[in-house]
Amino acid sequence: MKFLVVDDSATLRRIVINSLQRIGFDATVEAGDGLEALARFDSSVGFIITDWNMPNMTGTEFTKALRLRPDGRQVPVLMVTTRSAKEDILIAMAAGVSNFIVKPFTPQVLKEKIDALLPAAAA
Amino acid sequence: MTDARAHAAYYESEAALRLVDQELDQLRDSTDPAATVVELPLILERANQQIHTVLAHLRDVREARQRTACGTLQYTHERIQAVTVATEDAATDILDACDRARHIVDALDAIDAAEPVDLGKAKALRATLRDELFRMTGALQFQDITAQQLAHASTVLMDMEARLTDLATLFSTTLSVAALPASSGAVPEAMTYDPNATTRNAEARQHLADEIFTSAKAPAA
Repeated sequence: MKFLVVDDSATLRRIVINSLQRIGFDATVEAGDGLEALARFDSSVGFIITDWNMPNMTGTEFTKALRLRPDGRQVPVLMVTTRSAKEDILIAMAAGVSNFIVKPFTPQVLKEKIDALLPAAAA
Repeated sequence: MTDARAHAAYYESEAALRLVDQELDQLRDSTDPAATVVELPLILERANQQIHTVLAHLRDVREARQRTACGTLQYTHERIQAVTVATEDAATDILDACDRARHIVDALDAIDAAEPVDLGKAKALRATLRDELFRMTGALQFQDITAQQLAHASTVLMDMEARLTDLATLFSTTLSVAALPASSGAVPEAMTYDPNATTRNAEARQHLADEIFTSAKAPAA
């Protein structure tokens, strides 16, 4: 399964990709913002990990736009962000985010969230 | 004092100065010098009161600006302090992991030198070493978080610069905005950073996020 990793920080993208490789997922594609992510998303992508705060198109805007596409309705979207206020989480959920990770994260948390969402990705 | 109140104080100062001007006009236009001499103390008294009012307003404005500037600088200082703390925490985490990794390499050397070589122990140590290397990578998340903290501090400072420019031009009849040095950078877009970004209490914040996510997803009882 291919992961789409969306973050404007190249460092964070690299850390997320390293974490994915560590837990056994080698196929990844990267995007620096929501607009680029929309362009890069296709049916080969089975899982999306996205930041919230990004230029051009934020993670929540990207998720909303993705959910409008027939091929993007079911794909799990895991938001990895520094935001952790209740209203932020509710906004993310309303946008269609499947789960939420607070930065800085540990690989264990990333694995737990991916494992929990994988059945949805396989369905 | 808010900006609206500061503007009100400017307006009231201007109105008071107009009253002083009006009194002086009346004095100049007077056709009866004897009456003017009689009224002069009263006119000067009123003018004096108006000037005191203007000065009081200007003091209010100055204090308000001082408070705003001090508050902004204090806040920016705290954000920059948070960057320092985050950087130091990350550096400490990385150095600790380096120390542990070095001990593991020493232990692997000792295993290699021993007879027979304990392959099982070496395998376990290599796995631990990978964990330590990975922990170092994870500590580098501070870069993304401090970049957001600095973007926010930069926005606050640029806003203050704009306010000070406004103030400088307001109190000078000769200074124009064009004469002031241009700002050196673009204001970071608000959508690109989280003003509350922090490296602290990640575990507790994740726990809270999980609770909110779970309770919001659960159907109402």
